[in-house]
Amino acid sequence: MLLLLLARCRAENPTWARIEQAGILRVGLDPTYPPFEVVDDGGLRGLDVDLARAIAADLGLEAAFVYFGYDGLYDALATEQVDVLISALVMAPERTRDFAYTEPYFNAGEILIVPQEEMEISEMRDLNGRILAVELGALGHVEANAWARRLPNLTIQPHNSADAAVTAVAQSQADAALVDAISGRLALRQQPSLKYISPPVTVEPFALVVRIDDELLLEKLNTSLENMTESGQLNQIIAQWLNYGHVRL
Amino acid sequence: MMPVKHPLIPHASSPVPHSNFRPGLRLLLLAILLPLLQPAPILITPGPPQTVYTTHPIVAVHTRLTDEVEEWKIQRTLQMAREMGASRIVEFFPWAYYQGQDGAIAWEHPDMIINHAAAQGVSVIARIGLTPAWARPKDTPLTYLDADAYKDFARFTAVFAQRYRGQVSHIIIGNEPNLNYEWGYRQTTYQDYVDLLKVVYPVVKAANPELIVLAGALAPTLEPAGSPWGLNDLDYLTGMYQSGAADYFDGLAVHAYGLAFPPESDPAPDLLNFRRVELVRQVMLDHGDAATPIFITETGWNDHPRWTQAVRPGQRIQYTLGALRYAEANWPYVETVALWAFRYPAPTKSYMDYYTLVTPEFITKPIYDEIKKYTGN
Repeated sequence: MLLLLLARCRAENPTWARIEQAGILRVGLDPTYPPFEVVDDGGLRGLDVDLARAIAADLGLEAAFVYFGYDGLYDALATEQVDVLISALVMAPERTRDFAYTEPYFNAGEILIVPQEEMEISEMRDLNGRILAVELGALGHVEANAWARRLPNLTIQPHNSADAAVTAVAQSQADAALVDAISGRLALRQQPSLKYISPPVTVEPFALVVRIDDELLLEKLNTSLENMTESGQLNQIIAQWLNYGHVRL
Repeated sequence: MMPVKHPLIPHASSPVPHSNFRPGLRLLLLAILLPLLQPAPILITPGPPQTVYTTHPIVAVHTRLTDEVEEWKIQRTLQMAREMGASRIVEFFPWAYYQGQDGAIAWEHPDMIINHAAAQGVSVIARIGLTPAWARPKDTPLTYLDADAYKDFARFTAVFAQRYRGQVSHIIIGNEPNLNYEWGYRQTTYQDYVDLLKVVYPVVKAANPELIVLAGALAPTLEPAGSPWGLNDLDYLTGMYQSGAADYFDGLAVHAYGLAFPPESDPAPDLLNFRRVELVRQVMLDHGDAATPIFITETGWNDHPRWTQAVRPGQRIQYTLGALRYAEANWPYVETVALWAFRYPAPTKSYMDYYTLVTPEFITKPIYDEIKKYTGN
């Protein structure tokens, strides 16, 4: 009986019916976060923009983008100004009373970057006696400090930016760098002698967000993401914006 | 493999043991017994009295213990603040949380904070605000404090001041009253706030003459008169003085956020940066109030990766230390620089998390370690 009631509630939720009827998926984002979303003279572009368009196409829809400030995104969704948020948003368990997240499409956690020929470093314990470059004060630095408590001979080498930390590895001043996946992968574009170790050592999952009652929409979005993962389209989009060339899987 | 019969679980083929308890009674019994299985609460004692060691007594932090439930976390926070070399904390004590309509005050939580702060040798600047439902009109927000309730607010503040005499050194009256949001979503006026000071100040000073009463804690903002959001802090302060506020506070609390600017960047009336403090000071001087000190009760930089007013984490460290040095070297009238914020009880999952020095799990950020070094610890 309960299942029947739940099924009935889901069927009566009007969001998907309205989207389908209009043929438009209203996507909320804050276009100030390259390379995920940015608007400038070249118009709106970025990884999330391509992802939204691809998902909309998979669902037989057209994506219509609505811009909000970062702190207004969830309010915009709650007040039904948009159907979904696709804006490099990290899954937040605290919000799951009101919102639901799709499966994650990108992990922005900290990644280890090492020289291409380096085969001995693949995780924390391989760094004892090594020099680890980090961005001063960033989450990678916090993580490295935690590692240093377990690895007595780990030397942490702080730099003023993630780029500088990655460059230190390229110039053999450090054995590895620990930086966030976005900065690190962007930095790798300039450093073909380096690679990053997958998966990231910390988890910072980006996902699409819908209102908690929009179960059918959530299901459709997850199916699309699954389709795009299986077809390789998702990786193509990520690679286009974040360079997928040097990963050691 | 042969199935093994558990001695306490009846085998499927065994007859079910007869019980005299009906299901309802069993559930009731379970409900009574289950809480008894919980471990005893951890006994927290303040421990031996500690002293803050610091080579820079100007360093302070704004803690967020109001919403912290567990006592050991309150103690740990204050211990870490002391170890960092913070001589003072600024903490929020919401009137609305403590006093019921019958006048009774729940002191347990504020007592816990004040006692642990005292044990760590950290002095407390207490910010008092938020109006209980019984002291404001129906359907108004917590930040709504009407003139009708000024005397009630003053009485509570005086009782607080008296109770914590010798433990709380300073009290801030309200928070950012130049924002409409902080003034109960009404058009804020400096005259209203000065009226509040005139009611509260004499009552509090009578209860605890040595207490330093701080006014202001104005939000740095450029909002013009008539704005639905608030009023420019310099204009608001000027209005406060013109309305006769000078005799009703002992020190001025100032919020001085650096946003994306280095701490040394020049101040300007149309710019929000750390050195806006100098423009605030000029307003005080213009009104003959040179003797009144300033307490920066909120300041800091943010290193959120995507907030437009944020800086890189390394810059945040550099700017924060630069601000402390700048204030010490150039502002003899500034007694305290309190960094927003030491730690939140739980992640906010917004840019606000990137103002903190310590994570909710008590993991120190590199900025904490750098400040600790700066204070000689």
